[in-house]
Amino acid sequence: MNSDGTVVRLEGIHKWFGDLHVLRGIDLKIVPKEVVVLIGPSGSGKSTLLRTINVLEEPTEGKVFFDGVELTDIRTDLNRARTHMGMVFQQFNLFPHLNATDNITLALIKVLKLSKDEATTRAHAELEHVGLSDKVESYPSQLSGGQQQRVAIARSLAMQPKMMLFDEVTSALDPELIGEVLGVMQDLASEGMTMVVVTHEMGFAGRVGTRLLFMDDGVILEEGLPPEVINNPKHTRTQAFLAEVL
Amino acid sequence: MVATAPETMSPPDRGIRWFLAKQTSWSRAVLGSGIAVLTLYIVGAIAVLTSHGWTGTCPEGVTRLECSPSDPLAAGLKSDGLGLVGMVTVVLGSVIVAAAIASWKRMPNRSAREAVISGGVLAAQAVTLSGALLWFRGTDIDRFARNFLNISLIGQKTGLVWDTVVDSIGSIAGVMLTWAAVVAGLVGVYAWLRKTGPRLVIYSALIAAGGGLVWGLISVASVPSFIRGAQNTLVLSGAGAALGFSLGLVLALFTMSKRRVVRAPARIYINFFRGTPLIWQIMFAGVGFVPALRLDLDMYTIAILVLGLNLGAYSSEVYRAGIQSLERGQIEASRTLGLSYFQSMRYVIMPQAIRRVIPPLLNEFVILIKDTSLVSVLGLTIAQKELLGIGRDIYSSSFDATAWLGAAAGYLIITLPMIGIVTIVEKRMRSGLTSVIG
Repeated sequence: MNSDGTVVRLEGIHKWFGDLHVLRGIDLKIVPKEVVVLIGPSGSGKSTLLRTINVLEEPTEGKVFFDGVELTDIRTDLNRARTHMGMVFQQFNLFPHLNATDNITLALIKVLKLSKDEATTRAHAELEHVGLSDKVESYPSQLSGGQQQRVAIARSLAMQPKMMLFDEVTSALDPELIGEVLGVMQDLASEGMTMVVVTHEMGFAGRVGTRLLFMDDGVILEEGLPPEVINNPKHTRTQAFLAEVL
Repeated sequence: MVATAPETMSPPDRGIRWFLAKQTSWSRAVLGSGIAVLTLYIVGAIAVLTSHGWTGTCPEGVTRLECSPSDPLAAGLKSDGLGLVGMVTVVLGSVIVAAAIASWKRMPNRSAREAVISGGVLAAQAVTLSGALLWFRGTDIDRFARNFLNISLIGQKTGLVWDTVVDSIGSIAGVMLTWAAVVAGLVGVYAWLRKTGPRLVIYSALIAAGGGLVWGLISVASVPSFIRGAQNTLVLSGAGAALGFSLGLVLALFTMSKRRVVRAPARIYINFFRGTPLIWQIMFAGVGFVPALRLDLDMYTIAILVLGLNLGAYSSEVYRAGIQSLERGQIEASRTLGLSYFQSMRYVIMPQAIRRVIPPLLNEFVILIKDTSLVSVLGLTIAQKELLGIGRDIYSSSFDATAWLGAAAGYLIITLPMIGIVTIVEKRMRSGLTSVIG
């Protein structure tokens, strides 16, 4: 924790992809135990913003602070900072050549330098945490989409991160599998994990989120308590978007 | 009322017995006679040729125009018996083809139709082969046989005299057993330590036994010039592959760098070696570059270096394609977990990419095996010559072009198993087995 009490602080973030101005001046502070939900139409820059937080996308302009350390400073050890920030992707991105346990232990052994036994113990505990203690030996191709995504969450949690980033993690799932993944995320929020969630699941946003950000065209257009924004949007663009998705 | 789910059913049997049961008497007859006419042609031709003999002996001091070891084979090729086999095959085969063409659409089911078509195709193949034979009999067979069909020459130059092989079968088996036992022991210890199953041990023991067989045959061979050529071909391609595949991996990583200063030299290197002929590279290195710089390298080493440098350029493109075919999410997930770029390459990207590039790399290896023939433009010593060089040597000393056929046979013996391995690996990958096996 640093002096201003934030986990993440973004200052004047701009991002261009070629001539495309994707993020147009974003300032954002996230404090511990917040569950920030990012919504907005596709192409609004919400995924890019999320990926800027762990510098998977380097902002063209602006600064990213995590835990008081400036990640956009090239002298910062990004690899170390990233071990404290879990991220889960839309496409799961499990390593197909490794089974569920080895997917989790890889970074524990190679980055955190745990012994193989410690790493395995922790991996099995995390798999149990997400309800997959019977799948420790399974390869990703043998798991359903929902199970794969839960392994991916367990893989991030095993690093014992200070915060978690979720990038449309249910968008690639069949409808009947979405619930199990949202359930895991809801448990995580109730355990006090700081989270940033890009999602189209408005129910989840209203139930679990502590703050809702509506993004459009590269700026944060509106923010507030989720139920208030969802039920009583002020901006016409927000109204139009919510009318579409609800 | 609740409908109960039907019991799980095994798929219906569509094996050979089902196929045969579906046949009509007509389709059975067409398929049977198609098989019969092709068999008749092949067996008949071999029988006629064998009755005249495949190779013969000539008295000392007689010119090749008066007597050649190929004379019995030539006589067999010219014989009336072979002509009869050919004519009968053409007539019978044409009748079957005509019958198949007239009737395939009228068959009552797919199996019968397939049988009629297959019978017709087999008969057409027999007609084509015997037509070629009949045409061939109209040419100057004596001259052709003297130049290309002196089979005893290959036997002589491989040193594989079958009597010797049969006599030494005990010692060859001994070598095979020893090799297999040693390798199985070593791999067994590894498998025991790593707690892997016995499959690895069995496979490596079989490969070792195969190596023992080759070694045993070589050691009983008496005049092993072709064998030595094959050895040199294998050494040149093996060493070239070791160099080229390692160099290619490094080059591939360079070409994918985000820094232009790293990419540019790698691209220049690759484009140079891909853009100039290999034979030019070999000649330039052998007779230009190395002597001009007074480097102390013998021609054999130069040949290996150039083959490796060339393969490096080609294989780097294969590696690059393999790595780039992986989803971007793989490296993103890996970096997100805090692994460095090189750790991500080592533990996440390469294990997946290697699996994808094995078939195309094996193809590059097959090409390399054939390209070793180009080093014959360098002045290699007799002990260093590879298959094509040996073939040329034998040809220029005997004026017998059968030597070229011997060289071709040597290449095929090496490349056909490699091509087979490529096919098997590709099939396994398509069925998805390798993605499950760790």
